[in-house]
Amino acid sequence: MLPLLALVDCNNFYVSCERMFRPDLIGKPVAVLSNNDGCIVARSQEVKDLGIKMGVPVFQVQNLIRRHKIQLFSSNYTLYADMSARVMSILEEFTPSLEVYSIDESFLDLTGICSHDPIVYGQRIRKTVYRSTGIPVCVGMGPTKTLAKLANFAAKKWKQSGGVLDLSDPGRREKLMRIVPVGEVWGIGSRTAARLNQLGIVTVWDLASQPVDRIRDQFNVVVARTVMELNGISCLELEEIAPDKKQIVCSRSFSRRLTEYRELAEALAEFCSRAAEKLRYQSSIAGHISVFIRTNPFNPNEPQYQRAAGITLPSATQDTRVIVGAANRLLKELFREGYRYQKCGVQLGQIQPTSLPDQMDLFNLVAFGQAGSEKLMQAVDRINRRFPKGIAVAAAGFDKTWKAKAERISKRYKGLITKRKKSYAKVLKVQKGHRALL
Amino acid sequence: MPLTGLWYPRSSRPLFLPLFSGKVAAGFPSPADDYIEKTLDLNELLVKKPAATFFARAQGESMLGAGIHPNDILVIDRSIEPVPGKIVICALNGELVVKRLKRLENQWILASENQYYPDIRLHDELEMVIWGVVTNVIHAV
Repeated sequence: MLPLLALVDCNNFYVSCERMFRPDLIGKPVAVLSNNDGCIVARSQEVKDLGIKMGVPVFQVQNLIRRHKIQLFSSNYTLYADMSARVMSILEEFTPSLEVYSIDESFLDLTGICSHDPIVYGQRIRKTVYRSTGIPVCVGMGPTKTLAKLANFAAKKWKQSGGVLDLSDPGRREKLMRIVPVGEVWGIGSRTAARLNQLGIVTVWDLASQPVDRIRDQFNVVVARTVMELNGISCLELEEIAPDKKQIVCSRSFSRRLTEYRELAEALAEFCSRAAEKLRYQSSIAGHISVFIRTNPFNPNEPQYQRAAGITLPSATQDTRVIVGAANRLLKELFREGYRYQKCGVQLGQIQPTSLPDQMDLFNLVAFGQAGSEKLMQAVDRINRRFPKGIAVAAAGFDKTWKAKAERISKRYKGLITKRKKSYAKVLKVQKGHRALL
Repeated sequence: MPLTGLWYPRSSRPLFLPLFSGKVAAGFPSPADDYIEKTLDLNELLVKKPAATFFARAQGESMLGAGIHPNDILVIDRSIEPVPGKIVICALNGELVVKRLKRLENQWILASENQYYPDIRLHDELEMVIWGVVTNVIHAV
């Protein structure tokens, strides 16, 4: 039985998330800005068509923004993480084996599931995802991951495909490969593409027609594997990364009851330091932080209070300062006057090894802003090992340093109740096209 | 009525609480009733399809007749087919509003349930997108 893999990815993911609550913006130019509202990190097709490139600073394109009334949104990672989780959980229902490749892409193993009509199955996937989440996706299929990716690229580029393309058939494969430049292949970067071009290898078909040995000698084994994959020989397996159940917890009961916010914050900062140390020791980074505080549940005479809150970080980290900052924000939400707290703690989750190639996001300015943090943390750890009393983290004031500007954040997720005008008389004409997808 | 605030269900461990088997009227359950027949988790009851479910807070009074008061929380399921009779969320004029979907003589109508608020009749120039179907209303008393 020939393997069938699919690559499902969301169209202009961040923009689509924002449009989900603003269907009137479908068809209109929309862009999402980086942390601090500095650069454009996501563009709708209309914005791409205007020639605005990825990563361009906003001030450089102010004229275009004004002239074409480009709607801007601050990046809202909570929203994107949530929508991504939704899309992935829906995709899970279509396959026994899912590999979440990035925030908006997944590989699905469809071998033996829809061999009678893969295109129809692909359309069902698109329709179900759009119906439940409002996110438009494209489905590319083939016997290997590289071909699935290529098919997805073509499905997205050529509207006649209806968003679904299957490259299982060698004839169709050849037809497509002859018209796609080799640089579009997954794993072929611009430098490799330039070198290939110099050798006369210009289209994907040219590359697929090369003898594997020759490519291995002239380039490397990775490009050689790509050639094999393009010919339908699967070399890359689906990696099902099991959900990481590992958590790092640091908490303590207090010898005396604490009643002041400041006292809790100090204790929490210390727990965060220790937890972050454990993270660094095992060469990991954490993407999720939760904090809990509670009174003594065994004292029935005391008023009881027990709550926890968590937050997903825009960028996984092992930096104590980021962790303390996030924990502080959570504590501010949780703390209530008038209780005698007996225990508090921090829990780090979504732990992954630092060596994993993280999506090198242009817009992870949080990460860039922490440049040198790795060196700093290493120094802190060295000092702490030599001097057990060590470097204490100043708990006050961290909250301010990484609070990014987000003036245009989609209002609904701010948790504020905004007043809306009740005007039913004025209505906006909405594009007909997408109705077919509902 | 327009919506303010949109949330997504937070996945957490189920919280099972005892559910009285007899319907509790304004008095007290009879001592003879079986007190606990089964347990109930609100997430299970209200959120059938977590991936397609959203919460929103309602504002305004145009749907009072349907039992939707200002500040009530609506449970919205996008995966349910919007058919006449259902209360739907629709996108009009850049905002999401709650109306009851009706069909009268080949005409689609977004109906209010309050005599002081007008129905909206859909016609060719007026296009709207149905965002989801309201399955439950949570009203604090």
